[in-house]
Amino acid sequence: MSQRRTLVVAPGRGSYTKDTLGYLQKHGSGVRSWLDAMDEERRRADLPSLTDLDLASGFKTQLHTKGEHASALIYACALADFQQIDRGKYEISAVTGNSMGWYIALVLAGVLEPLDGYRLIQSMGSMMAAGLIGGQVILPIVDDQWKIDPQKVDGVWQVIDDIHLRDGMEVYLSIGLGGYVVLGANKKALPELLKLLPKDGDFPFQLINHGAFHTPLLQSVSERAFKELSADMFKAPKIPLIDGRGKIWQPWSSDPHEIYQYTLGHQVVKPYHFTQCIEVGLKEFAMDNIHLLGPGNSLGGSLGQILVQMNWNGIDSKTQFSEMQKTEHPILISMGM
Amino acid sequence: MYSRPEKIHENFLQKVESGAFPERRSHTCLETSGLSLFDLVDLFESQVMSRHLDLRSRELKNQGRCYYTIGSSGHEGNAALGKAFRHTDMAFLHYRSGAFFIQRAKHLPGSTPLYDLMLSFVASSEDPIAGGRHKVFGSRPLFVPPQTSTIASHLPKSVGAALSISRARDLKTPSEMPSDSLIYCSFGDASANHASAAAAINSASWTSYQNIPMPLVFVCEDNGVGISVPTPNDWIASNYSTKPGIMYFQCDGLNLCDTYSKALKAINYARNRRKPVFLHMKTVRLMGHAGSDVESVYRSLRDIESTELQDPLLHSAALLRDSGITSKQILEIYLSVGQRVADVGEKVCERPKLESPRQVRAALTLTTEKKKAPAVPKRTDLESLLGREASKMEQPLHMAKLLSFALHESLLRYPNALVFGEDVAQKGGVYHVTDGLYKRFGVRRVFNALLDETTILGTAIGLAHNGFVPIPEIQFLAYVHNAEDQIRGEAATLQFFSNGQFSNPMVIRIAGLAYQKGFGGHFHNDNSLAVFRDIPGLVIACPSNGADAVKMFRRCLRLAHEEGRVVVFIEPIALYMTRDLHEEGDQLWSHAYPEMGSEIEVSDFHMEGQGSDLAIITYGNGYYYSRQAQKVLKDDHGVDARVIDLRWLAPLDMAQVSAAVADCEKILIVEECRKTGSLSEGIVAGLVEHLTHLPPTRVLAADDCFIPLGVAAAAGLPKKQEVLQAALDVLGGSQ
Repeated sequence: MSQRRTLVVAPGRGSYTKDTLGYLQKHGSGVRSWLDAMDEERRRADLPSLTDLDLASGFKTQLHTKGEHASALIYACALADFQQIDRGKYEISAVTGNSMGWYIALVLAGVLEPLDGYRLIQSMGSMMAAGLIGGQVILPIVDDQWKIDPQKVDGVWQVIDDIHLRDGMEVYLSIGLGGYVVLGANKKALPELLKLLPKDGDFPFQLINHGAFHTPLLQSVSERAFKELSADMFKAPKIPLIDGRGKIWQPWSSDPHEIYQYTLGHQVVKPYHFTQCIEVGLKEFAMDNIHLLGPGNSLGGSLGQILVQMNWNGIDSKTQFSEMQKTEHPILISMGM
Repeated sequence: MYSRPEKIHENFLQKVESGAFPERRSHTCLETSGLSLFDLVDLFESQVMSRHLDLRSRELKNQGRCYYTIGSSGHEGNAALGKAFRHTDMAFLHYRSGAFFIQRAKHLPGSTPLYDLMLSFVASSEDPIAGGRHKVFGSRPLFVPPQTSTIASHLPKSVGAALSISRARDLKTPSEMPSDSLIYCSFGDASANHASAAAAINSASWTSYQNIPMPLVFVCEDNGVGISVPTPNDWIASNYSTKPGIMYFQCDGLNLCDTYSKALKAINYARNRRKPVFLHMKTVRLMGHAGSDVESVYRSLRDIESTELQDPLLHSAALLRDSGITSKQILEIYLSVGQRVADVGEKVCERPKLESPRQVRAALTLTTEKKKAPAVPKRTDLESLLGREASKMEQPLHMAKLLSFALHESLLRYPNALVFGEDVAQKGGVYHVTDGLYKRFGVRRVFNALLDETTILGTAIGLAHNGFVPIPEIQFLAYVHNAEDQIRGEAATLQFFSNGQFSNPMVIRIAGLAYQKGFGGHFHNDNSLAVFRDIPGLVIACPSNGADAVKMFRRCLRLAHEEGRVVVFIEPIALYMTRDLHEEGDQLWSHAYPEMGSEIEVSDFHMEGQGSDLAIITYGNGYYYSRQAQKVLKDDHGVDARVIDLRWLAPLDMAQVSAAVADCEKILIVEECRKTGSLSEGIVAGLVEHLTHLPPTRVLAADDCFIPLGVAAAAGLPKKQEVLQAALDVLGGSQ
């Protein structure tokens, strides 16, 4: 049987949870040498090692969700999973990621060496060590069968427009995440945002320890990143790479300096269109599968929602997606489950 | 037999492997081109993707899974043009623009050109531009309105679109394109000989010659042959390098570096000077005209092979090799892209197709972006605009004057409405219908066109692509025939081929029909509307009197503005100045200016009288004469007749018309147009379909003859006496 084409998706922040504690211990043997190198760097920086964090007796929200720990844990887990993909069965046709997953995707595509990827992630995380800039709020915009509900979309935009008119309040689209939108807002606007957004079950809620990523509020972070991080560590990708706008970076035609510019510039201060990343990947490479790297499966729902929105392979509802996942050849392979 | 596509594919593999590249035709190199090596590889990838799309579409065609194989092979140098132009420079594309389109899509991350083009090739209903209705390059986000471009009929609209850019800026009207945009319009060397191409290039030259902004780049992709007919050597350069007001550039379409660097120069000139450019891209054609074209019938194998050795992909590979990319890497790109295209091809073949007529028709008049018309102006605002003339609004006026006021009202209400045509400005039109508009609204909104109907209609289409609602005037009905394709093949098809994503709203005013006393002959008295009747989606209005004309015109313009519709508004010349109906001075055909905001809905007809002895179905001049006959029938013959003025000739609601005459004893259809192909045929057919018991019905139509000059001008036309006689005949002559 010929290889199946797969799109590898790296997860973003929030995917390392109490349920995934111990993930590296279970799945990390393939990346042991990189883990050791990262742990060594962390020891030098007076940070708990990833191994220790992963082996902790219990999940501590304040500890494990902190940017400098959570991001690195997720990164290491994703690298470990990537090594596990059966290359005989699957051809990795392109890689992408959501939000912080972009930094991971850079490593998977060969743009960054694994240790440089870690350093990039840590540097970007440390930019807000002195205090988060704003925050992110998430809420769904789909019905119970994962079809986009135009009324919900309108409702969200009305709130954004309304809050934007208020003195000192800023709110922006941060991530288009399948059936969810993530909004980024400054601290003054966050309470209003949570108050005014339409209620939908547990939603909307604020993502713990998240800044207003992918919004103009992070302009200072972008500027600092350009000063502190060199373009030298960026290389041309070895595998096609899809960024948060849905642009495909091809191995022979990509200028590493442009990837650097995008990564520290546009990617930091403009919306991250995860839905578009996946759509481009599926269509332009005729993907048979999606490999969602662990830890966890927090993007699984979003990916299903995107498939429904695209009517990909005739999947036009949540029910149909669930049925498809139960077959011998599910389209979505969630490695963190 | 031999397969040229296979041969071309093998050639590429062998020549790259062996390094046996064709000799360069031009010497622009990477260092002097303005491109980086990454750019060059990126362009090559677009070229390769376009090539593989051609190859794959032919394979799928052979398997019965793809429907169209006219390709871009040989023209892939246009990828460099796709890079050089902004994606907001609206592009009206030649059908060999695969590489251009793919490269343009790269300006807009998130685009999926490979998947989308493949959907188009296999006519899937998910094709994002035409919804499976045609294989066509198009995309709203990429500013590429779909074109068939087979007969260069897209060139005139490019002139209008170029004109629209500065016009929108000057008038501060909402526009689709940024104010420093260019228009890109590409076509082949054979198409350059088409009348519509000649008209467009001439009108761009005429406009630029007068220093009116015309930021337009014509790109002639010259492969040296039109299907089987060679283009004479240097024909394009000789013909187009010396046009007044148009700057000529030439580039080697086989050399990406040369094409890109020349394109930058051309763009720089056109964008900064706001003047048109003719960019002559010399290239080759591979694999014949289309999949069905057997090139060996008219070209020797030697010629074919020698052309194939000039494959632009080989020329690009040579540039890459010279820049340090290895043959192995070049082949890796070529083969991996080929595999991707094949995989995507398989995937899209599974996607759904259009099936029912209802699905196909759904896009005919669809618009995905409905607009709201501006508020109806206050009557006092119109009065103030008209000044002393306003006092006439309450007086009985003829149609020409009422229409003139209606046009004033329209330009007042719609800041994006423009009036243009032959003699419409200072002269006010040959029948004074546009009188006063130029003085009151200025040359930017009311302007004379050069004497060419193709240009007038093409200009309207182009303006409409950029937010305007044009009101072009065709001076006489007979003049529209040399330009009819601009309506039939272009304006009317845009919503259909773009699935409602693009529209070119307009109200085309046409003075027409016969009965003029003492003027004209055939060319000023044409009495055939057949040319419009079968155009799907077209609205045809034909008022018979001034009050209706105003109310119908208001509806037409609102329809165009809000729903993007194309409307033909026929103005019966003979009724322009008609004031009386039965006798001199009765002023029964004169009306005060209708109440502001009053409209007549599309397909609504008027019924005069309730008599059931006879129903007369007619329109325009026929209605006028039928009304005269109606009175005589009643007064002299005791016949109670009703007369229906259809007003709208399309869409015609024959169910309602039939219901309105179902209780009548007899039916007479009075048709002022030539019988053959006239509306009367449709009316009879409609009555037969809708009435279980069709009353005795007769058609009184104009002779199947051209209109002569002099006293016999109205000889073959239905007039009062002829209508009366026909009515009596159908009634049996006894009443």
